[in-house]
Amino acid sequence: MASSANSNPVPKLYRSVIEDVINEVRELFLDEGVDEQVLMELKTLWENKLMQSKAVEGFHTEEQAALQAAAHQQAQQATQQAQAQQVLLPPQQQVTSWQSTRPTVTSAPQQQVIVQDPKILQHMSATGMSAAATAATLALPTGVSPYHQLITSQGQILQFVRAANGAQYIIQPQQQMVLQQQVLPQMQPGGVQAPVIQQVRPITQVLAPLQGGHPQQTGVIIQPQQIVLTGNKVQQNAQVMQMPGQPGQVQQIQQQVQQVQQAQGGAAPGPPQQQAKQQPPMMLQVDGAGDTSSEDEDEEEEEYDEDEDEDKDKDGGEDGQVEEEPLNSEDDVSDEEDQELFDTENVVVCQYDKIHRSKNKWKFHLKDGIMNLNGRDYVFSKAIGDAEW
Amino acid sequence: MAYQLYRNTTLGNSLQESLDELIQTQQITPQLALQVLLQFDKAINTALANRVRNRVNFKGSLNTYRFCDNVWTFVLNDVEFREVTDLVKVDKVKIVACDGKKTAFETDVV
Repeated sequence: MASSANSNPVPKLYRSVIEDVINEVRELFLDEGVDEQVLMELKTLWENKLMQSKAVEGFHTEEQAALQAAAHQQAQQATQQAQAQQVLLPPQQQVTSWQSTRPTVTSAPQQQVIVQDPKILQHMSATGMSAAATAATLALPTGVSPYHQLITSQGQILQFVRAANGAQYIIQPQQQMVLQQQVLPQMQPGGVQAPVIQQVRPITQVLAPLQGGHPQQTGVIIQPQQIVLTGNKVQQNAQVMQMPGQPGQVQQIQQQVQQVQQAQGGAAPGPPQQQAKQQPPMMLQVDGAGDTSSEDEDEEEEEYDEDEDEDKDKDGGEDGQVEEEPLNSEDDVSDEEDQELFDTENVVVCQYDKIHRSKNKWKFHLKDGIMNLNGRDYVFSKAIGDAEW
Repeated sequence: MAYQLYRNTTLGNSLQESLDELIQTQQITPQLALQVLLQFDKAINTALANRVRNRVNFKGSLNTYRFCDNVWTFVLNDVEFREVTDLVKVDKVKIVACDGKKTAFETDVV
């Protein structure tokens, strides 16, 4: 490689230091009876902090790029790409769920799922669909195959499906946030049970088409998972969309919502808590118990505030001058202290071979140094400098 | 023992923070963390002495200087750091330098 001579030695050096330290302390860890896993955790924490500091270029980029790509697929894809492909997911998942034989798409990027959908659609139309699928499609106006239309254009779904009873299922990617608010699944009571669409792991959108003996009852529920993807603020709509008349379906939705939210790290504590009330506790809540704990916290906070107020009143009454003295002390001018409070102070940590001065001309002979300049790290084995005082 | 000088670097601080996190979760003891830091001191001193082979020149104006306990601390202004490959300019830089003579340090070891 022609560029090898100019490559930055810092990442390699840091990596070698990390490896040396970890290997050397492994014995210490074992002597203390600490598990090897803790050692690995230390290494991971260390490397992550180095990466976050951005002080080192190209540090572990190759190794962790793949890891981050896999790890972030679930998170980033859900958040970033969700807005562009969110609408695409419902039809995809509907298709995947209705074909029980179809394996769930796990870590595949959303685009891949989209690609697979046309095949699924063809397969669906060719083969017999499940009862739920047939019922839903029958409910829809004949000749309308929403999923075909939905999948044709990535990122631009402008299909408007109108059910027999007037339930409307609008899909417009550009108005995702608004759409989800506007889409009202008109679920009608009557024991309609919607089949549960199993979740795709990275994809959290699930649609539960209505099933049952009411062909005129149609409606597509955009489950809250979709909303979760776009952000917490949209989650509030999930509750709006869950019609109370169908507890069974709601439970299923709640399950999936909780699963999704847990996968995403438990986004909004509000909706899942409320949903949990309706649902038997099947999943652990990341945010912990809902009502009771919040009450306790409020009580504790109130007590703490009262104590603070009492102390403040005492101090304020006795020493009115105490507040004035610190104010006076602020009049002092201290240039050095202000400058030292900089966020990214450029620092060089090294050893000196020789420091020489002639009148006001200083010469520095330094060695084995690590520099942090403008936020980036450099190293040197020797440094020679001149400065005038 | 080696200089603990390099603990206040990106590499050293990230290690210390990681160790602090493990201490807080009580996965390691503070004593063990200290041992790790001592090991880090050795490793970084060795690495810098053996694995780094580049020179840097710099020029600027000296704002303050301090020599205490055989440690020089300088603050320079408007400094240019020049390496063969590139040039870095900073408005202010603090240089902390311990005695580079090997014998000088080891005699101070307690």
